[in-house]
Amino acid sequence: MNESIYQLAVWLDSTRWSTMLHESFYMYNWVETTHVLTLMISLGLLLVIDLRMLGYALPGMPASQVADRLHWPMIFGFTVMFITGALLFYAIPVRSAQSLWLRIKFVLLICAFVNAVLFHRQMRQANNSWDTERRAPARLRLGALLSISFWVGVVICGRLIAYDWFDCAKEPSPFIATVAGCVAGQEQF
Amino acid sequence: MLMNYKRSIFTVLMIALGTGFALSDLRIETWQGLQGVFEWSETTLFGHIGKTWGAAFAVVEAFHLVGLALLGGTILFSDGRLLGLWFIDQSIATVEQQASRPFSAALALLIFTGVFMACGVAMKIYYLPVFWYKMLALFIGCAFVYGLRRPLLRTYAESHPGLNKLVAVASLMVWFTVTATGRWIGFSG
Repeated sequence: MNESIYQLAVWLDSTRWSTMLHESFYMYNWVETTHVLTLMISLGLLLVIDLRMLGYALPGMPASQVADRLHWPMIFGFTVMFITGALLFYAIPVRSAQSLWLRIKFVLLICAFVNAVLFHRQMRQANNSWDTERRAPARLRLGALLSISFWVGVVICGRLIAYDWFDCAKEPSPFIATVAGCVAGQEQF
Repeated sequence: MLMNYKRSIFTVLMIALGTGFALSDLRIETWQGLQGVFEWSETTLFGHIGKTWGAAFAVVEAFHLVGLALLGGTILFSDGRLLGLWFIDQSIATVEQQASRPFSAALALLIFTGVFMACGVAMKIYYLPVFWYKMLALFIGCAFVYGLRRPLLRTYAESHPGLNKLVAVASLMVWFTVTATGRWIGFSG
């Protein structure tokens, strides 16, 4: 599996567009800046919704209204984030594919996605019966708390990708090397 | 009659004072006078942690981003209402009042984590012009929210729809400048 991921990353790295994106100072920085600043739309609106469920924000607004109306702008923000994130990966594919932090970030993203699906299902089942109450029912509050935790984890891992502590080029311990996807005898990093 | 325009007169005075300060030798003298404060801040506990433990610095930086996201979320939430994009069945006063607490909490988190980060790299940012641009933008942002936006909307929100849109556009521009200059600091290493 790690070998296949490495081969795919090496192939991506050999494409002209990857090199162009990586070596273009302005383009790369624009993509990275967009990725970070879109946090304000995606994660920002998600936090507003989650904090409403927990009773810490907008207690006087109907919870289902907050969730429904901010849903699509939030999805737009996440779409831009995923596109720019994919471009950042494409610009430095080998190092990114073997980044321990990016791998943890992906696991957390999957957890956040599953949690979001369950959260929506529970909201539909609750049928807005608690809409004007200060706090959502316990199960939805748990969902909101998990959502915030997963996304804080995603942001922390995203920030840590910039650090090279566990890069394959630094020959980490066998356990870290396996989890990070280092390949024995690899020539490209 | 002038008393009817005291807020406008105050704003014009502040802009005139700021421009005078920026163009005079006083700006350079103030900057030089602050050097001691920045040198001292590197010797504080925050400065020591920030310089010694890269992981701690990165995690605090991630929480800075979370604060930024929440700030962005609350700004979009309330500016979206001013622009008539959502929550038009709720009064502007309600939306503003509901958004004020999470906004202030996000700002407090941003300032706390920002001070921590600044202590770790104090002398570096002291010589970075963009750091001072960001501080200026942040000061304008806070003055705008607490000194202009809130009092203005409290009085005129329902009677002047055009004013609401102007306030929203100005707010988005001010806070975009704050975040963009923050990102720019990252590229100025």
